[in-house]
Amino acid sequence: MSRRWSLSNRLALLFAACTAIVSLFAGVLFSRGSEAHFIELDQQLLEAKLAGVRRALQDGPNPQARLADELSRQPDLALRIKDRDGVSWHDSSIRLPIQVPERPGLSTLNDTDNDYRVLNAPLDPNRADSPQLTLLLDITHHQHFLQRMQRLIWLTVGLSALATALLGAWAARRGLRPLRRMGAIASSVSARSLNARLPEEHMPAELAELAHSINDMLGRLDDAFQRLSAFSADIAHELRTPLSNLLTHTQVTLTRERSLDDYREALHSNLEELQWMAQLVNDMLYLAKADHGLLAVQREPLELALETDLLLEFFAPLAEDAEVKLSREGNGRIEGDRSMLRRALSNLLDNALRFSPGGGEVRIRIVDGPQTVRIDVENSGREIPAALLPRLFDRFYRADPARQEGSNEHAGLGLAITRSIIRAHGGDIRCESADGWTRFVVELPKAGQP
Amino acid sequence: MKLLIVEDQLKTGQYLRQGLGEAGFNADLVADGSTGQQLAVSGEYALLILDVMLPGRDGWQILQAVRGAGLDTPVLFLTARDAVEDRVHGLELGADDYLVKPFAFSELLARVRSLLRRGSSAAQETSLQLADLRLDLIRRRVERGGKRIDLTAKEFALLEMLLRRQGEVLPKSLIASQVWDMNFDSDTNVIEVAIRRLRIKIDDEFPDKLIHTVRGMGYVLEERKL
Repeated sequence: MSRRWSLSNRLALLFAACTAIVSLFAGVLFSRGSEAHFIELDQQLLEAKLAGVRRALQDGPNPQARLADELSRQPDLALRIKDRDGVSWHDSSIRLPIQVPERPGLSTLNDTDNDYRVLNAPLDPNRADSPQLTLLLDITHHQHFLQRMQRLIWLTVGLSALATALLGAWAARRGLRPLRRMGAIASSVSARSLNARLPEEHMPAELAELAHSINDMLGRLDDAFQRLSAFSADIAHELRTPLSNLLTHTQVTLTRERSLDDYREALHSNLEELQWMAQLVNDMLYLAKADHGLLAVQREPLELALETDLLLEFFAPLAEDAEVKLSREGNGRIEGDRSMLRRALSNLLDNALRFSPGGGEVRIRIVDGPQTVRIDVENSGREIPAALLPRLFDRFYRADPARQEGSNEHAGLGLAITRSIIRAHGGDIRCESADGWTRFVVELPKAGQP
Repeated sequence: MKLLIVEDQLKTGQYLRQGLGEAGFNADLVADGSTGQQLAVSGEYALLILDVMLPGRDGWQILQAVRGAGLDTPVLFLTARDAVEDRVHGLELGADDYLVKPFAFSELLARVRSLLRRGSSAAQETSLQLADLRLDLIRRRVERGGKRIDLTAKEFALLEMLLRRQGEVLPKSLIASQVWDMNFDSDTNVIEVAIRRLRIKIDDEFPDKLIHTVRGMGYVLEERKL
């Protein structure tokens, strides 16, 4: 329910509630304050009168006249005098048939029409059997004033709440205008126009952060989408060449009678194209599985020095042939998938050997760190321009753009597969190239860590 | 030796039967799972080649029926899906090997031969021989025409494999897996180089070459009389 309320309405309501609470609090405080002030005034007045009445009754002659004189100066004041037994001696308020509280001190009394402040005190505080004086002050006009003020307070509370609700709604709507603008831009984003971006510089600080995050997300989406589109196009392109070779070659072969050797040659040539395509499809499927997080890593404890040495032994004939020196130093233990990591490292070694010149060197260095194990695979040789480094792991990327498709040319998926394997292990790979060395740096989380 | 192929894709099945037939195996081909199962549990086949996706009963069910009937016939699965669950599922049910499509026929043939050989416990050989090439397994020495040849450990293992499976075309992937324990697709040409280096030592000085390249398929060790 509350989820469907618009932000503007929520803010307006909150503003109104805040104003109402603040004005109510102020009103109550003021009203209490004035009431206390009136009570204080009344008390001072009544105590002054009490003193006057005591003086009139206790000292000097003709107390009756002096009492009347004292009372006449305050027409809204009444006096009752009773003795200890409750017999009334004097009552200037006979027309008030009210029952007055007996307890001493100041109290407030509500009659049907009027309100009174009552002060009970003994005539002579020093005598226990002294007659009791009761002073009644009519404070109806005070109470009226207070009531009027209370009504005013309620009115103020209500009106100010209403006013802030309306103003708040307007202000919120106005303040949230950038958000609506964001929404409009966001709704214009589709697969076809992923390049729309939110204007961060015109956004208020709170929204700028959100806009920045959304822009980042759009950037990543755009990038992934571009790669995906390029990938599909690449697949089509990669398959088109061998397919067209197969078609042409087969049709040409079949146009006339040929010798057995020619047929055999044609079939062999076709076989090579087909094997290349099968390898491509298998690699693509492997990468697709990796993209969907379906590479199941079957972890087991691995001694990296041992694994690397086995790979170096595997590549030894190739390296000797190319007159490239192979070496390994360091060791580290991780938990990983033996077959997958062998494939990953074999791709790196194959790559390193491919790009080492004769008489060059390929070195593997394993560094056992506290959190990760780092494997450097480096080869001497021509450096890779820095601008190309991030692209090395892209699918179908080949360092040499003028490559030929053919059975001996690899499809350019090796490094992409290597990266997928490393990432499936929770690690990462990067490439550095400087000072005549090209180095692939693999970082793998250590055993026992996800 | 009879093999059973259960494969619903007609072309694939026929090519497999033809290929296996020409390699010296007598293979029956059925296209649906139910018939396949009836034949499979009859126990008259030395090896079953099962497609996973079949009409009637799928490959898993046939395998279960076969194992349920108490047969330990080797089973090679063909699957178009390289899902790990498939692999695990198959191995749990007792499949012996599996191949993911697209695969090379030479690969299939090599695996079929491996599976069939596994059952027959070969006598403990002390040496392997072809023509004038002799490999002494105990002293780990190789001679050809009475002349001693020095091989590295891996070259020895490679030659041993070629000798043990002489006459068979061995795909590069199988060689990488058996000799170097590298079980992954790789487009590296390590095996080519290794074979070439072995050839220099074994064949170069002799007029009769023993190691032959079967283009597009692999390598074979055999005597070819001119």
